[in-house]
Amino acid sequence: MSGTHGGAASAGVMPVTAVRRRRLGSHLRDNRTAYLMIAPMVILLSVFVIYPLGYALYLSTFEISFYKDPVFVGPQFYWYVLDSPRFWNAISVGLRLAVMVVPVILALAFLIASLIKTLGRRLAGFLKTTIYLPTVVSGVVASVVFTFMYRSDGGLVNGFLGAVGIGPFTYLSNPAIALPAIAVPAIWLGIGVSTLIMLAGMLDIPETYYEAAELEGAGFLAQIRYVTIPLLKNVLLFLFVTGFILAVQQVDLPLVMTGGGPVDATMTPNLFIFTQFKDPTPYATSFSLTVALILFFVLGLISMLIFRLVRSDKAVDG
Amino acid sequence: MKLRSGPRSIVAGAMVVAVLASACGASTKPSASSDTPATSTAPGSSGAATGPKVEVTFWQHQFEDYQQAWFKKEVAAFNAAHPAIEVKYTVVPADAWDAKIKAAQAAGKAPDILTTNYGGIKPGIVNGQFAKLDGLIKPEAFADIADNVKGFVSAKDGGYYAYPMLVEPSTVLYYRKDLFTAAGLDPAKPPTTWDELISDARALTKGGVYGMNIAQTAPDLGWSSWGLQYNAAGHLPIADDWSAPKATDPAYKKLLQLYQTLYTQKLMPPEATFPYADVSFYGQGKVAMTAGGSWEIGQLSADFKQTLANTAVAAFPSVDGDATKPTATLGGWTLTVDAKSKVQQQAADFVSWLLAGDPAIMTDFFKTAGYSKYSPRASVAAALAADPDASSNPYLAIVSKDVLPFAKAEPAYPFDVSLAFSTAIEKAMKGSDIDAALGEADKAIADVIAKQKLAGTAP
Repeated sequence: MSGTHGGAASAGVMPVTAVRRRRLGSHLRDNRTAYLMIAPMVILLSVFVIYPLGYALYLSTFEISFYKDPVFVGPQFYWYVLDSPRFWNAISVGLRLAVMVVPVILALAFLIASLIKTLGRRLAGFLKTTIYLPTVVSGVVASVVFTFMYRSDGGLVNGFLGAVGIGPFTYLSNPAIALPAIAVPAIWLGIGVSTLIMLAGMLDIPETYYEAAELEGAGFLAQIRYVTIPLLKNVLLFLFVTGFILAVQQVDLPLVMTGGGPVDATMTPNLFIFTQFKDPTPYATSFSLTVALILFFVLGLISMLIFRLVRSDKAVDG
Repeated sequence: MKLRSGPRSIVAGAMVVAVLASACGASTKPSASSDTPATSTAPGSSGAATGPKVEVTFWQHQFEDYQQAWFKKEVAAFNAAHPAIEVKYTVVPADAWDAKIKAAQAAGKAPDILTTNYGGIKPGIVNGQFAKLDGLIKPEAFADIADNVKGFVSAKDGGYYAYPMLVEPSTVLYYRKDLFTAAGLDPAKPPTTWDELISDARALTKGGVYGMNIAQTAPDLGWSSWGLQYNAAGHLPIADDWSAPKATDPAYKKLLQLYQTLYTQKLMPPEATFPYADVSFYGQGKVAMTAGGSWEIGQLSADFKQTLANTAVAAFPSVDGDATKPTATLGGWTLTVDAKSKVQQQAADFVSWLLAGDPAIMTDFFKTAGYSKYSPRASVAAALAADPDASSNPYLAIVSKDVLPFAKAEPAYPFDVSLAFSTAIEKAMKGSDIDAALGEADKAIADVIAKQKLAGTAP
């Protein structure tokens, strides 16, 4: 095509090749700018994520000793980890904790954010501060406080239940209820941020939508169902994914409250890695490294699945 | 009564950790190191007073408060007496110890000197973790170690890789004489069989006080039940050469039943508010009897004087009443020098000065500890025997006579093996079927043997 117009340049008419060259030039310039802008992140990611990850993968093929030369063992430790019932138990504990924690946080945060939205400015400010307070409490401090509250002798929880003739329960020594007992402080710690993010999302929804819905005869529940939730979809997805990953990776609470017990009932994946790493043998070092790598891929896979299942859309605003 | 009439020599002999069943010649050996400070022969400490100070890092596992104070005092004394060496002393909290040490080793910043327990020495030697001390500390210092402890700190080739500081049995029985009397039991007759222990615990459980306290979480049970594992079956749940699991030995059923009965019949606290090594449950008067290490005498005398006044000590009951069966393992601590330390000589100088030097230093330690720990050195034991406070200490005499002679060394296999078995105990306590729990432990130990290639590697 361009050949046919090769010598036909005339005043006012730009030849196609020139247009293309110009487009190409500006395209290259655009690309250069784009590359320059993403370069810092790429470099940082390479230095702090990609290289360490590659090196960790390389190291996981050795039995590492800090005093002797490492011994190459190939993928042996991957097999050892995948063959370990304690590893699968840890994954299961992490997932069960996430299932107990995340939906409750989302539901409560939604209700509280809806309530705050309807309040006056001063009261809303007070409530926002109050609901956010647990977030600034350290997980370790919360663990200690809840451990005292759960004590079977003189604990606050058993005190209340005892007043109505229930209990006492040994929350942290009973394998059947230890994990739910840990889920409670996890919910308490996580609810503040989720509420504020959800509230921000709700305040972003134009009021006109609700007015239109009201004119159409939609009640409160219908407004939530057809206006609030669809427009909060991306916020909910974000909170769901980050909450899920945080819950699976929970380590402070079980470490302080139960040490992973009783009989591994609260042994979350990260706590499992930590307890394995502590063991002084070279075997334990390589094993914990391999568990960490496998967990990385497992969590990545879970995140991908969630994104797949709940398709994320671009924001639909007015 | 019995104690007062006992001859001082019995106590003295026992304190030498002479202790294990075999007669130990250590008490008859003179201490060459007691006359001259070890540092005088150490190259690292000589003539460098005017040069720059050599810094030696020393990490100590956190123990009872009085121990931290003692170490601090002695480190200061060493630094004052050795102008060329500066020992930097750090106390590491017990629950952060393993992770912190390993992280430091991974970063190539392990401390020059480390407190190491006996169970960690053999695996550490295999891993090349410790400096050989033979060339760094004079031979007389090693000759002063009790014969039956020498094996704890040396390799197959006879080389020494740690210097022992103390030994302490992992399990003895503490009980409240006043509560025994109140329950109609004879305080002069502590339980001698596991059945008696259970029936006494049942009689003592009343008025908000539990009859008994014993470890109940797998990590605590992992090491604190070693002595009782020996007691029940005569062996640990793995073959002597570490080639096969032995957790399904029917003899272990009795052991799991003991724990299960105490827990499920609510004869002990339902929660491990305090770990096994902490005597607070007993000290606070919440339990009438407790299993605990000999070191808990030190904690009782420091923090619970009132309880101590009503306390008697006995060997932990045996499965069948045979008092010569082991009920405890001989735990304890040593100092080791890191294999990668660049100041090994100076580090060894400190170890030698503190643990193998003037017996007065360690005598002071055992006195501070309320005689709740035992010296692995002949010269120190001899010095303690001459101390009227030590020889008249009732707890010391009982532990020396009834517990130490039958105690076993701590196993050197990876803790995973112990954890597999203790998980079975905890499962039984939480209501699982005993046979099933032991079967799972056996399988888990077989798995550890296979994956960690343990067969035939027993030291």
